Amino acid sequence: MFETTRYETNRRLRGTLILTVGVSLYVAFIVWYFSLVDASAYEQIAESVPPAMRTAFGIQTIGTIEGWLGGQIYTFVWLVGLGVYFAYSGAGRIASDIENDRMDLLLSFPVSRSQLLLEKFASMLLPLIMLNVVVGGVTYGFVVAIGETIDPMHLVLAHLLSIPYLLVCAAIGITLSVLVNRAAVAERAAIPGIAEAVEQHLGESSGGCGAGCHWADVCSLARRISSWRGGRFLVDSIR
Amino acid sequence: MGVIELDGLTKDYGDVLANDDVSFTVETGEIFGYLGPNGAGKTTTIRALLGLLEPTSGTATVLGADVHDENALIDAKQRIGYLPAHLGFNEEVTGAEVLDYHASVKGGGRRDELLEIFTPPVERPIREYSTGNKRMLGIVQAFMHDPELVIMDEPTSGLDPLKQEEFNEFVRKECEGGKTLFFSSHVLSEVRRICDRVGILRDGKLVGLEDIETLMGQGGMRVQLRTTDEARADLAALDGVIDVQTFADGIQFIYTGEYNALLRELATHDVREIKISEPPLEDIFMHYYGADGSVESNQKVQSDV
Repeated sequence: MFETTRYETNRRLRGTLILTVGVSLYVAFIVWYFSLVDASAYEQIAESVPPAMRTAFGIQTIGTIEGWLGGQIYTFVWLVGLGVYFAYSGAGRIASDIENDRMDLLLSFPVSRSQLLLEKFASMLLPLIMLNVVVGGVTYGFVVAIGETIDPMHLVLAHLLSIPYLLVCAAIGITLSVLVNRAAVAERAAIPGIAEAVEQHLGESSGGCGAGCHWADVCSLARRISSWRGGRFLVDSIR
Repeated sequence: MGVIELDGLTKDYGDVLANDDVSFTVETGEIFGYLGPNGAGKTTTIRALLGLLEPTSGTATVLGADVHDENALIDAKQRIGYLPAHLGFNEEVTGAEVLDYHASVKGGGRRDELLEIFTPPVERPIREYSTGNKRMLGIVQAFMHDPELVIMDEPTSGLDPLKQEEFNEFVRKECEGGKTLFFSSHVLSEVRRICDRVGILRDGKLVGLEDIETLMGQGGMRVQLRTTDEARADLAALDGVIDVQTFADGIQFIYTGEYNALLRELATHDVREIKISEPPLEDIFMHYYGADGSVESNQKVQSDV
């Protein structure tokens, strides 16, 4: 039981470690940068931007460490970056096995198709948990190190709530992976798939950024995801 | 009850009828060769036997398990080894890691013994493997849990002649030990060397099911001779002469008729040189592939004879 999960997890261990270290370093840089900036200047900037932008990105509290982390880390890295990463990663799981003629051999194992699928999905749990635990710990450590304070319960809650969100992203990816035979197609479809699926099935648009608000695609993606109640709560919980 | 039983197995992909009412039985301890050129439908049969695809109609049992019954087939797969034609092992892992994974799922009691015969560099990542090394790793994983039945799809493709011979020797011993081996091939010479019985597939239909000895016996003899132009024309017109090839001063044909008639005809001509031999399996095989004895260009059979 769970041999495939173990194999897939071990196979991707190096990548998981590199990703965790990379995100941790980025968090360290962001926290360190906060210690250099004049918080009141940022608050003034936040006041000067249109209300729609403030609502969309939650920058009204950017002058506090919680608001700073919420804007810099949890909106872009967690909701968009890792959401897309897990969807993309999930999208490659089954389709690449089919594309590379691996699936016939795997299905010749004495395990059911559903178990194989479940085990493949479960292999994404380690990076998901490792990122949340390590980066959560690193964030708290650096915040304390620069002399700021943050409610650890809020931090834990933010990371805890990100787990079901990222699992949904991974599930969207793996669903595409089953529906599409070519890994590259599934992976490409997973990226807009996250935005569309979240908007259509899970949330309702906050309308924070109106039709006249011409943002780059990535900003639109962030708005869509953060418009999902769960996503908004995730971002808000850090503040 | 046979180890493998197919009963009217049909798989229709819509545009291609890959298997058309295929029925045969493979008995315990047998080495069964499943012959046909590329695209004949061999892999479709194998995939249906392993439950990898749902037959359009008909059924099959493997080690007593119906291919429609996933739970029964899962139990049977504990006792089945499978060597697919294309081995898509993950490129970044080592051979040892692949075998560890396979052993954790289905067992690997004979791994060390097999690695003494087949020698892939297990400590190196798969991306550094040659085709032959990947094939050897595939053979090890197919046999290492000591299954009762091993299903192999083009098992020797990519192996060098020395390893092919070791493989042939290995499978003969395995068969003597009670294993049943089912393998598909379009390399006829290896089928002749190791198989007890063959099924011949043509465009999804089973067109022949014979003991290898019977198959060879039915194939007549190959006659090669150097003679006159007149004799070449007379011999080509003789009853039982097929697959005629003429050369500058000679002729070669397969003779399936009565020997005295051939000898009487030869006695009336000036024969400078004659050689009568058992025909290669290719020639016998061609009988199943069209009345004119020819194989279409996209269905060339391959041989290392």
